[in-house]
Amino acid sequence: MKPSAGFWIESCLIILRDDPFTETRCDMKCRRVQKKLSAYQDGELKPLEQAELSRHLLSCQSCREAYEKLERVWQTLGGLEEISPGPWFYPQLVRKLKEPCKRGLSPTLQHVFRFIGAPAIASIILVIGLAAGSYLGTNLARRDLFPSPSIPVSDSQSAFFASMRVFDPAPPGTFAEGYLRMASYEESGSR
Amino acid sequence: MDKQLPNEELMVKIAKGDEYAFQILVERHQTSVLNLIYRFIGERTKSEDLAQEVFLRVWQAARTYESNAKFTTWLYRIAANLCLNELKSSRRKRWLRFFDADTEEQTVGEEDFSDGLPSPEDLLLARERSRQITSALQSLPENQRMALILKRYDDLSYAEIAGILNCSVSAVESLLVRAKKNLQEKLKIS
Repeated sequence: MKPSAGFWIESCLIILRDDPFTETRCDMKCRRVQKKLSAYQDGELKPLEQAELSRHLLSCQSCREAYEKLERVWQTLGGLEEISPGPWFYPQLVRKLKEPCKRGLSPTLQHVFRFIGAPAIASIILVIGLAAGSYLGTNLARRDLFPSPSIPVSDSQSAFFASMRVFDPAPPGTFAEGYLRMASYEESGSR
Repeated sequence: MDKQLPNEELMVKIAKGDEYAFQILVERHQTSVLNLIYRFIGERTKSEDLAQEVFLRVWQAARTYESNAKFTTWLYRIAANLCLNELKSSRRKRWLRFFDADTEEQTVGEEDFSDGLPSPEDLLLARERSRQITSALQSLPENQRMALILKRYDDLSYAEIAGILNCSVSAVESLLVRAKKNLQEKLKIS
């Protein structure tokens, strides 16, 4: 016997009802709707989308519950009271306006200095360090504070002795040697 | 001078040094600017200082103001930038608070209610509710908090908020989605 049309329709409905894919399709729609709920609440959707979501909310309980939660958050936030500026607000503002000296740098300059401040300070420290190093290296090291006894030596011998001083704890021309010389100079001066 | 003059026309006058126009502008926007900052920072004294700073910047920048942008968007952008900078600098100063325990700030929800006539129970409830909301708001990341405040309390559109926060409209949308979700958890709304 050939099954009737009613039988086919009923079978299809049973399959659709029990079909896990139908449920998945619904879940997917709900997920899409729930992503848009915030914009829906804020009235930021296009009119067509807004109407579509309204229809969906009427038929879907879980989405409706999600929307009601958002509404409760919004209402709760209304519990934060508003404050008013005191009567001194404007007079104080005018006083600040008329005291430009106390206000320091303009916002633009403050902005510029915030970005260049650290590199500028680092550069200044570097320059001071280089200047001090060069002063010690050239000026102090050149001074012969402890002249060695004058023993006649040939040029090649003196060059040899000079090159051997590289192995000194404080080789000539270095910062350390300059410091040692300066320290001993001060010591001898104080005597 | 007509007190109903639009903001843009007031700005033209302020650019010429008109103090009365400045006063009208301040009186028109002081409450909204103060509350925006107060909700973001959560400290009344600091908020008043910052609100004054916003208007000082308006005065200083009046000559360079271009009326092709909506005035409130421009004004709120100044306020938002000041708030974000303040938060950054207060984070840097946080460790110093160890040594400065005496200077307790009056925070949101610890208002002086002596002007009104609410009952002590109402006062307690209002304070507690305010405290919870403030702490929930303060726990949000800065951009989410600012977007939410601008939407909830100033009812600005996504496009306007995007203009203030210097981001796209879709970024504002996702900021608000996350902010609302976070608040649901913080305020324990089920």
